[in-house]
Amino acid sequence: MILESHKLKKSYRDKGRLISAVHDVSLRIAAGEVAAFLGPNGAGKTTTIKIIAGLLRPDEGWVRICDRNPHKNQSALKLLGAVLEGNRNLYWRLTPAENLEYFGVLRGLSPRIVQQRSHVLLERFNLAHKAQTIVGALSRGMQQKVAIMVALIHQPRLLLLDEPTLGLDVEATEEVKQLVREIASQGCAILLTTHQLAIAEELADRIAIINQGKVIMEQATHDLIRQFSGSAYQIELEVSLDPARRLKLENLGTDIETETKLRVSNLAALYQVLALLKPLPVLRIQKEEANLTDIFLKLVREQ
Amino acid sequence: MNLIWLFGAELKRGWILQRRYVVETIALMIGLTLVFCGLLVSTQNLVGPDVQLGDRLDALVVSYVLWSLSLFIMGNIAGELQQEAQTGTLEQLFLSPIRAAQLLIIRALANLAPQLVINLAILILIMAITGNWLSFSLFALPPLITVLLSAYGLSLVLGSLALLFKKVQQVLAVFQFLLFFMLMAPMETWTGPSYLLGWLLPITPSAGLLRNVISYGAPLDWILVLLALLNSALYLGLGLLLFHWAERKAKKYGGLGGY
Ligand SMILES: Nc1ncnc2c1ncn2[C@@H]1O[C@H](COP(=O)(O)OP(=O)(O)OP(=O)(O)O)[C@@H](O)[C@H]1O
Ligand SMILES: [Mg+2]
Repeated sequence: MILESHKLKKSYRDKGRLISAVHDVSLRIAAGEVAAFLGPNGAGKTTTIKIIAGLLRPDEGWVRICDRNPHKNQSALKLLGAVLEGNRNLYWRLTPAENLEYFGVLRGLSPRIVQQRSHVLLERFNLAHKAQTIVGALSRGMQQKVAIMVALIHQPRLLLLDEPTLGLDVEATEEVKQLVREIASQGCAILLTTHQLAIAEELADRIAIINQGKVIMEQATHDLIRQFSGSAYQIELEVSLDPARRLKLENLGTDIETETKLRVSNLAALYQVLALLKPLPVLRIQKEEANLTDIFLKLVREQ
Repeated sequence: MNLIWLFGAELKRGWILQRRYVVETIALMIGLTLVFCGLLVSTQNLVGPDVQLGDRLDALVVSYVLWSLSLFIMGNIAGELQQEAQTGTLEQLFLSPIRAAQLLIIRALANLAPQLVINLAILILIMAITGNWLSFSLFALPPLITVLLSAYGLSLVLGSLALLFKKVQQVLAVFQFLLFFMLMAPMETWTGPSYLLGWLLPITPSAGLLRNVISYGAPLDWILVLLALLNSALYLGLGLLLFHWAERKAKKYGGLGGY
């Protein structure tokens, strides 16, 4: 396990009142795994990320990064890279190359190694042509890529990304997604938060949903989707149904959603329906899959 | 080794950032020189035109330039901390395996050279305007070092406040005057209990020693240097302790990020 967090608890004191931000949050991420941490605004995602990064001390519980506790052992921070919420992880008055150099040395690398690695990173992130432009003059997408590069310069085992695609356009979002896949495929464990559920569904091996400080669900993405997907099929025809067939189908208990679309509740019924439809031209037959948005809303509202 | 690399990286970062403020820095230098001239004119008005300031003028120049140097150092450490908390880079600094206080000290040392140059320029400007040239000796170095150590201690105190309260601008303004008093306080002329109490004030004993050496050409008393060193070590230690404490508090209350 690269990351283990055990029953993290954190309350903030705000104007004399105690606000519980995180309650018993336990997470585990293995090497090469991407975990998405989802939840509504104020659910406690950023708080958890900051506790893992050693920036915030938990009231209870512990964090281990490759068996080292970042709150007790400062060298654990060498194993960790983080891009925190917002766009201010970099010195805006320095160029990407200068940021890489400064933070690389700060993370304990020699200037020579930093030079070599920034060269490689700038090429790989497609930013070599912007290496000498100050960060403040780059687009939001480029800034975010530079922030990720800086978080990777010391080759951490765990990468924390708090809303990495916030405010990025379609193309930049795709680029960041691709980078996340690549970084994970090289063995880095990644924990990311996002409000864009489609991104989580595409990228994450595991999904954890947090609401009001508590993890309400934590599962492998495909298990989760399967669990909520049920057994129904959708059939789409190229032509409209005739009234006679329509009647027979209704007697079989088929949902007729439009003139050309049917919904069949299980596999056994599917073949009966197909027999009835023969020889009408079929456009598609598809098993119904739940999407993460539906699952997310269902779980969060149930609470 | 790593700390030396970091020192180099800080030098470079400081240079790149400062380079963009050349105009501001020159304006500040001229402003500080003008303030001194104003101070001098009003002093002369107070004591009457016939009184020769003499050695007193030397002492005033020394104190004033020390004040300006200390302001640069404190503004740099506390101001930068506050600014980085607001912009978000502070959290990235705390994500490094190097302790924050250690980083701050390396930063302070890397920034020292330009600060010394700027304040030397102010000193030369003032001496040129007043036509009153000070004579320096190597004996000025030990008290100058203890002045710097005290200034770092006080900067760390202010830095702790910046970590805890975010807005140190007002505190910094009040602090400027306190510092002015502490640097100007003519402790070398005090006697009895007030002299003894003077040894407890931050930075005052070191400044007094330095004035003694430069303005009055007095020989350096190594016992007093040792005492001044003790005094500045005390305030540096206090600053470090307070900073560690503030860091712990900030990590407890979530104060490292800019709100
Ligand atoms: N420094 C702080 N002081 C007081 N309360 C805080 C502090 N930081 C966060 N909170 C509160 O803690 C709770 C959790 O906040 P957190 O930022 O972790 O949520 P989040 O899941 O990241 O939300 P978002 O999706 O909006 O980024 C919220 O109620 C928030 O108001
Ligand atoms: Mg957040």
